[in-house]
Amino acid sequence: MWKRTVSHIFTKPATTKYPFVKPKLADDFRGKPEWTTKTCNMIDLSGTQREMGFDVQAFLNTNCTVCCRDCPANAIEIVEIDGRKRPQFDLNKCIFCNQCIESCPRNAIKGTNIYELATTDKGSLVLKPTLKEAKKQ
Amino acid sequence: MLKSDVDIVKVIESKFGDKVQIQLGLLGTAAVNTNGLHREILKAMVDADEKTGITAITGVDLGANLGVIYHVHTAKGFFGLRAEVPKEKPRIQTITDIIPGAAFHELEVTDFFGVVFEGNELKGHFLLSEYWPEGIYPLRKNVNPAEVKLNPAPPEEKMHEDRKIVKFIIGPQHPALLEPEKFAVTVDGEVVTKVEPRIGYVHRGIEKSAESRSYIQDIYLVERVCGICNPCHAYGFVGAVEKILKTDVPPRAKYLRVISLELNRLHSHLLTLGHAGLEIGYETLFQYFWRDREPIMDLIELTSGNRVYASLMTIGGVRRDLKDTDVPKIKTTLAELRKKLPFYRKVYTEEPSIRARMQNEGVLSRADAIKLCVVGPVARGSGYDIDVRKDDPYEAYGEIPFKEIVYDSGDTWARQNVRMDELEQSINIIEYALEHMPKGPFRVDVSRYVPAGEAINRVEAPRGELFYYVKGNGTASPERVKIRTPTYANIPAFLKTAIGENIADVPPNFVSLDPCFSCTDR
Amino acid sequence: MAVDFWLIERILIFPGFTFILLLTLFCDWVERKIEARIQNRVGPLVAGPIGLFQPMADFIKLLTKEEIDPRDAKKTVFKFAPLVAFTIMVFAMCFLPIDGASVISSGGFNGDLIVILTFSTIASFLLFLSGWASSNPYGTISSARVLTQFLGYDIPLFIIALTPAFIAGSLSIFAIAGYQVNKAVPFIIMAPWAFVLFLITMQAELEKDPFDVPDAESELVGGLETEYTGAKLAFLHLTRDVQIVFGAALIVELFLGGPYGPVIGGLPAFWYSLWFVLKLLAVVIVTEYVTTLFARLRIDQVLSANWKIILPLAVLSLMLTVAMVTWVYPLV
Repeated sequence: MWKRTVSHIFTKPATTKYPFVKPKLADDFRGKPEWTTKTCNMIDLSGTQREMGFDVQAFLNTNCTVCCRDCPANAIEIVEIDGRKRPQFDLNKCIFCNQCIESCPRNAIKGTNIYELATTDKGSLVLKPTLKEAKKQ
Repeated sequence: MLKSDVDIVKVIESKFGDKVQIQLGLLGTAAVNTNGLHREILKAMVDADEKTGITAITGVDLGANLGVIYHVHTAKGFFGLRAEVPKEKPRIQTITDIIPGAAFHELEVTDFFGVVFEGNELKGHFLLSEYWPEGIYPLRKNVNPAEVKLNPAPPEEKMHEDRKIVKFIIGPQHPALLEPEKFAVTVDGEVVTKVEPRIGYVHRGIEKSAESRSYIQDIYLVERVCGICNPCHAYGFVGAVEKILKTDVPPRAKYLRVISLELNRLHSHLLTLGHAGLEIGYETLFQYFWRDREPIMDLIELTSGNRVYASLMTIGGVRRDLKDTDVPKIKTTLAELRKKLPFYRKVYTEEPSIRARMQNEGVLSRADAIKLCVVGPVARGSGYDIDVRKDDPYEAYGEIPFKEIVYDSGDTWARQNVRMDELEQSINIIEYALEHMPKGPFRVDVSRYVPAGEAINRVEAPRGELFYYVKGNGTASPERVKIRTPTYANIPAFLKTAIGENIADVPPNFVSLDPCFSCTDR
Repeated sequence: MAVDFWLIERILIFPGFTFILLLTLFCDWVERKIEARIQNRVGPLVAGPIGLFQPMADFIKLLTKEEIDPRDAKKTVFKFAPLVAFTIMVFAMCFLPIDGASVISSGGFNGDLIVILTFSTIASFLLFLSGWASSNPYGTISSARVLTQFLGYDIPLFIIALTPAFIAGSLSIFAIAGYQVNKAVPFIIMAPWAFVLFLITMQAELEKDPFDVPDAESELVGGLETEYTGAKLAFLHLTRDVQIVFGAALIVELFLGGPYGPVIGGLPAFWYSLWFVLKLLAVVIVTEYVTTLFARLRIDQVLSANWKIILPLAVLSLMLTVAMVTWVYPLV
């Protein structure tokens, strides 16, 4: 043991000096989910999807809300923006499991490996799907 | 793929004949409707097979009655003994005189369902907090926890009662424990005379919460019972649901699951071995073990997308595939870890301060281990050779060769050695799985609505046997999810081994059973 | 009464209080860096260049925190024990020759070795009292362990400290250090057994691994420091650090020839201080290395090591030294 400890004084430390040095991540690291407007096909729905209990009829008749139903953290809320109902992601509650990405039948949600989301303003972590944001994407 | 022991079934049939009904293949080897004869049946099983023990006792709300299912493991089989008590008078006889290890399980059913076990009554609360009102049993279907009014603050405990005998409280917040639990250790000088536990500080009501969420949401909920062994929880739940659905998972998914579970075992054992070093004051060893754990965390991130919560399992397979470009990285990291293992083995066998602190401390004899129904490395360190991967192989473990590690001395040192040797076995398993990975799909589609039925699943988590019981009722939410975690079964062993030793030996002894209180309290 | 500005400057700045304080903080940094490097980590990095200001930052941070006193603690002892212990340790340091002369005198007096060892014992006793006055079960058990440990190890410490005194023929630190220079052979070479034993005993006195028992975090939460907050805690930590520096300085004086060393081109005061600091750092590095190498022994193992191993060896070492001095050294 003592040989190893002495040799360690002269080897490079194993610590990565984050945040001065950022680590390299794989592409499929589960980071922030991003929603693209093009393919999500939310059409006008009756107000039943807000409850978390399963409403079989609503599920079978409408086109979607699967992301909202499957989110384990209830972080996706259906809001009405610009006349259409769209999902709103609350990153305060999101657990980054990426289940919404899997469940979306139209691949409207994309995964990124962005994880540095710390901020001092909680409101900025609620991703509202406005047209302005859609244009940025 | 259960190795059923038809002898036990024959024993029950011969002794009780037509007073009980036996259904083979359900709840393990067989499910038995006891019709009030649970004590006699258990006694017969204990007499027939010395390795009989209680894995869990599940309470179920069956409408007018409360069901109590005794999940019993024997040397080669697994049984579910059903009993029912009416809700107006929920009394049943205890089995703690036959199998002492059932004490904690009975107290939990009392706390959650209100079933009174005559001979093992509960005073106050066991897992629920003192703020929870008496008489309201949260896991019954008519109780909605959001509407329960909590009691005002309970009275303060007096600390210094008798100056001669010091009651020394370990916890709830304590540097020796990773998570909060309270152990009131009664000390006479420097020697421990009694340990009284109070668990339930991390109780989050996961079992109740699982009943109001869909199966897919439940995978993530159940994963968060414990951060260290999270794939095991996810697999436990998913496996049980797949048994109810009677789906077969593709072979590639089985191998991928094995890789995820074994990577989890590697990182968990490295964590515990380092933590054990910290408890005896050996900070250098702690830092070395955790430095070697970092590449494993990177591997977990590579295969599943996140360092801690793997979230790889889903009903029907795994969520993502292993890329061929990742396989060389996995192999190099594992080869490097393998090179470091002889150094750690030498430290453990030759370092005088480790041997002085860990050998002959906290001894648990084999007979005690069997009676208290301990699981995992704690059992295997005392000569009690149970390992779900060998006794009841699941996923691809039946096809992968590996050794079951058993040490006989039963002290702290033996338990840590079991974990050290299991590191090497895990590396062997992962390498074998990578070599023999079958091609094909990694996932099948399943229906969201699980038909009525019940199933059990057992996983060998790093800390021991993890047990799941899932009951579906045809809707998209389960009716009952019961989780029995390994630390829950091992805490009674600590209460026994702590008696008669120095205070200074209590933390290493305690850490050697690898406590995970998030698991215990759910 | 004429005010001696020179004396005041020596007491307050160099080699007095400020120097000792800065030296303590610097030795703390060296310890933490060595420990970190051995453990394959980085150690203090961000506060100041390569983390040099980290111990100072820790001290100042503690001074700014709120102080909470438990209701049942013995007020006066609780509040003043850390401060008095710190003062006594700094005072003990003032007797050691640092730049050729000590802080308060230029020649010392016969017997000051015993005086400073006594001061060190009193300071440890005050630390014990501070834990005892906390009225906390962790503090009580820990201070009982501190008392048992340092009183037990004080005996071999005194006996082994007599070895260089015996060879030098005087109980004055100046004389001991001077003897090594006159004979040009430090005592580490003349009596190596005493040096090794002194190191081990000093590890136990300073409560460093493997004799870390009173500070056992995993069982006793904070040990004697459990109820201390704010400025009192800052002084407790500082007292422990000054004890480490004091122990290392004692080893330097008794076995390594004190501050004396080659003087190149005049200015003996500067060179003497430099040699003193370098030797001190060497001793600190060696003791810190031993600390990281071992786990913590149990209290009964610590005590049995003392009474069964260290004390008999100390007595044997003294007898061996007497024999060597009487018969062997005059021949050399």
